[in-house]
Amino acid sequence: MALLAEHGDDAKLLAGGQSLVPLLALRLASPSVLIDLGSVPGLDYIRGDDGHLAIGAMTRERTVERSDLVKSSVPLLSEAMPLIGHLAIRNRGTLGGSTAHADPSAEIPAVAVALDAQVTATSSKRGERTIPASQFFQGFFTTALEPDEALTQVRFPVAGPGTGVAFEEATRRHGDFAMVAAAAAVRIDDGRIGDARIVTIGVSDVPVRCREAEQALIGVEPLASAFEEPSSLAASACDPPSDLHGTSAYRKHLIRVLVRRALEKSTRRPKEQT
Amino acid sequence: MSTEVAQRYVGASVARSEDPRILTGGGKYVDDVKLPGMLHAAFLRSPFPHAKIVSIDASAAREAEGVVLVYTGEDLEAMIRPGPYGISLMMNQDKPAFSCLATDKVRLVGDPVALVVAESRYLAEDAIELIDVDYEDLAPIATYEQALDPTNPPIFEDLGSNVLAESDLHTHGDVEGAFARADHVLSVRINQHRHQNVPMETRGFLASYDREADHLLVWSANQGVHLALHILAGRLGLSPEKIRVRTADVGGSFGLKIGATREEVAVAAASMALGRPVKYIEDRYENLMASGQAREEYLDVEAAYSDDGDILGMKVHMVVDAGAYPGMAAALPTMVEGMLPSAYRIGALEFRSTVLVTNKATYVAYRGPWAVETFVRERVVDLVARELGMEPFEIRMRNVVTRGEEPTSMITGRSLDGVTVRESLERMAETVDIPAFRRRQEAARAEGRYLGLGIASYIEAAPGPRAGQSPLGLEQMRMELDGDGKLLVYTGQMPHGQSHETTLAQIAADEFGVRFEDVRVVVGDSDLVPPGFTGGSRSATMAGGAALTTARALRAKVLELGAHLLEANVSDLRIEDGAISVAGVPSSAMGLAELVAAVQEPGRLPEEVDTELKVANSYDGGAGGWSGGTHCAIVEVDVETGLVTFERYVVTEDCGKLINPAVVDGQVRGGVAQGVGAVLLERAAYDERGNFLAATFMDYLMPTTMDVPNIEISHLETIPLDPDVNFRGIGEGGMIVAPATIVNAIEDALAPLGVRIHEQHLPPARILELAGVVEPE
Ligand SMILES: Cc1cc2nc3c(=O)[nH]c(=O)nc-3n(C[C@H](O)[C@H](O)[C@H](O)COP(=O)(O)OP(=O)(O)OC[C@H]3O[C@@H](n4cnc5c(N)ncnc54)[C@H](O)[C@@H]3O)c2cc1C
Repeated sequence: MALLAEHGDDAKLLAGGQSLVPLLALRLASPSVLIDLGSVPGLDYIRGDDGHLAIGAMTRERTVERSDLVKSSVPLLSEAMPLIGHLAIRNRGTLGGSTAHADPSAEIPAVAVALDAQVTATSSKRGERTIPASQFFQGFFTTALEPDEALTQVRFPVAGPGTGVAFEEATRRHGDFAMVAAAAAVRIDDGRIGDARIVTIGVSDVPVRCREAEQALIGVEPLASAFEEPSSLAASACDPPSDLHGTSAYRKHLIRVLVRRALEKSTRRPKEQT
Repeated sequence: MSTEVAQRYVGASVARSEDPRILTGGGKYVDDVKLPGMLHAAFLRSPFPHAKIVSIDASAAREAEGVVLVYTGEDLEAMIRPGPYGISLMMNQDKPAFSCLATDKVRLVGDPVALVVAESRYLAEDAIELIDVDYEDLAPIATYEQALDPTNPPIFEDLGSNVLAESDLHTHGDVEGAFARADHVLSVRINQHRHQNVPMETRGFLASYDREADHLLVWSANQGVHLALHILAGRLGLSPEKIRVRTADVGGSFGLKIGATREEVAVAAASMALGRPVKYIEDRYENLMASGQAREEYLDVEAAYSDDGDILGMKVHMVVDAGAYPGMAAALPTMVEGMLPSAYRIGALEFRSTVLVTNKATYVAYRGPWAVETFVRERVVDLVARELGMEPFEIRMRNVVTRGEEPTSMITGRSLDGVTVRESLERMAETVDIPAFRRRQEAARAEGRYLGLGIASYIEAAPGPRAGQSPLGLEQMRMELDGDGKLLVYTGQMPHGQSHETTLAQIAADEFGVRFEDVRVVVGDSDLVPPGFTGGSRSATMAGGAALTTARALRAKVLELGAHLLEANVSDLRIEDGAISVAGVPSSAMGLAELVAAVQEPGRLPEEVDTELKVANSYDGGAGGWSGGTHCAIVEVDVETGLVTFERYVVTEDCGKLINPAVVDGQVRGGVAQGVGAVLLERAAYDERGNFLAATFMDYLMPTTMDVPNIEISHLETIPLDPDVNFRGIGEGGMIVAPATIVNAIEDALAPLGVRIHEQHLPPARILELAGVVEPE
């Protein structure tokens, strides 16, 4: 932390290197100091903490993916992990690195926003502060972290009973960043939807929480026919970019399809489990 | 007694000699060659597609840490003689003239503007950033329309416009008659998109000039050392004897690494000026942006056909986007014209072409460079079938030639002797139950699922028919029996994935009579190997034939010597397992090492006997011939996401006598993988302003093992045309026919939605546009 305070903007933290090293190779980033978090102790853990699961920044994506604790407590995160790149990348990439990197198509930030996770930022001068995920992601590769701050932990709320989850994505190839993805966590109370969280990525510079769609689901019986309207709401609420991998119109269409598929899948899940 | 050689190796899937080295990381590539005092080169490249260079200030770079030399285009002009670079030497492309590095103008994003040589690549790249170039924008020429617009500035002043070549109208057969007889005429523009060779190893080049000896040693990732040597000699003003070009292992090329390119000549010039070794390894960014791209062309087609589905004739105008610094594009239309009818009874063809220069990377050879003939023809066949409501397979069977019946050649003149496309279609119908698929397709459609079956056929000049008496070009080879009885094979072929170290050794071992392990194939050294080059599906026949005839000639020589040494008649001798013996008398056996020693022993043989255990030979291609076949894809299209999955991919093909079935299957699979990439993933995209959009692997998507289907391959029996050599090349076919096969399958899947496809690249967004699910942008 002292190193970070000393070098500020000239320094970059190196976690798994799966995003930073390509940027260095392409000469898109040329920091004069690299601070390797690999040798910082105490940042690699997954533990329960007061209705939350706290995960240390240097926990490898693969460790999160394989954790039974994550699977039982934060199933949406479990669901998202295998969709990140390829195995070799997840072996090195870290939960903190992905969160701090804030790629608008990354899965972990989508889960953090969907579940209202809390990000812990630490600096040598001011100590720790907690930033809600909804405020943490500010734009393309831009977060609320100050130049002298490191991300040290992310806390995810534990899923309540009756919650079903799904993470649906469309990629050009296996392992690619999603063109568009939709994450859903839906709680069913007495046969009706009690809580719904929907986030889409690949459509804006940050993960997008689809509040209107969520509202439209509350109190509704989880039938396939009930998902058309919320899916359309999610699609019409955004104005995705066009690039080589898909036009704006295509992405908008995909959001509708993937939100609907995510809702169908997540509402089947709690039933499947009982 | 029979003197026939036993074929122990030819026809067997002998494990590749290359594999232990390459698969265990022991392969040695240009980048692994390290010479004492070696320096490293990097290029400053243009960020603009088309701009005037007003000034270049390289003073800061010259002063930068570790920098030994900086050259601008002007600096190099004084050192380099004008003339062709890269593939253009082979293609006789002598216009327009261009400089080694950009001087007056830059003509594409990635055009090399300056060269920095430094103690390390890192320092060279750091210095690149210190070079200050003042550019003045010119209107970019990035589309066919922009290139055809005479009010736009010419990219090359000496061309006067952006039209590089324009052909006359060529007519084959009775075109007007065919169109007059036709019940229908289909008019379509069929587009092929720009995509490119992406070898795993990028271009790599190391030049080391020895001032004292006035000698230039070059290591180059290349498809043939001599072409590179001649370009270097020509551009550098050195005599060819003063240059030695070597290759290390070559990690793929697909047509890219031919001759010496502009960057390579610049690096050699720097080494000559410094008297030190200079290495340049292209990075992936440069490779995607500036090494070369291929395939961008369209064909305006009118196809005349009957109610019964007979394709009577075609009128075609082909337009090619050659990119800047033209290499081979102007030679392309002639190849496409000649091949277009393929194995179909298309009785009339009218053809003309226009080749344009644009502000994009040079159009280079890519695995089956003329493949658009297959894409367009096989698309037209399916479009006609759809118009008539007929099964595309039936249309193919109606139109495909039958062996032994007229016509025996294409209307464009090329003989179809030995072509078995009809047989490959029949085999396909035995392998894939098309009527059963149609029933399944029907049932799936009722559930809202879209399955499609696509078939396409092709032939590949491998090396092509023998036209009259004219030789197909000679393939040279040398063989030598060395002191320990091993057979050395010197070939001009330069394998970069084709397995010649294995396949040529199989042929030579069988013909000569040694064990496969005792044959060493020597490649890639201009001091050692005869002139040659690997490309164009020629090597199975040409180098295979050369290996067969050269091994025979050397064997005859050894038998002659053996006759003296063993005091027997030549006709009683045999060579087996590396020993010569009198047939039926095992105790007479003399190992070949022993024979070599005996031959060299003074006084052992009469004076007049030729004791040189070497033979140089050449092979003219014999009867020549085609390979070819039929591919079939069964796909499912998700009409909600536009994503395509493969259910089945089947290949029935004929490449004559198989030298090594595993190698053949590998070539087929690799080609199909590239075809999958072309249709679903790969596009060297530029925007309308000439900016390059696909300079990393996040944008230029290569198929991975997860995207390439399992490929079922069956081989047809050989129709021998030649008494000895019936091996035919298979290197390009997979890539030639797979795009048509896959697009045909996708169109078939979407047929209920009324979809007709006139393009090759079908990313998911485009599929949904075609299906009418999302609006085109
Ligand atoms: C081929 C490929 C495919 C991929 N596919 C996907 C995918 O589908 N989905 C996906 O989400 N990701 C994908 N990734 C990215 C991968 O998940 C990255 O590992 C991850 O985004 C960054 O994690 P890292 O630990 O490697 O961070 P690094 O690369 O080490 O760092 C990334 C950035 O975050 C900063 N940083 C790292 N740790 C901290 C910290 N604790 N505090 C503050 N700043 C920090 C660094 O300074 C740097 O700017 C892919 C990567 C590759 C190479």
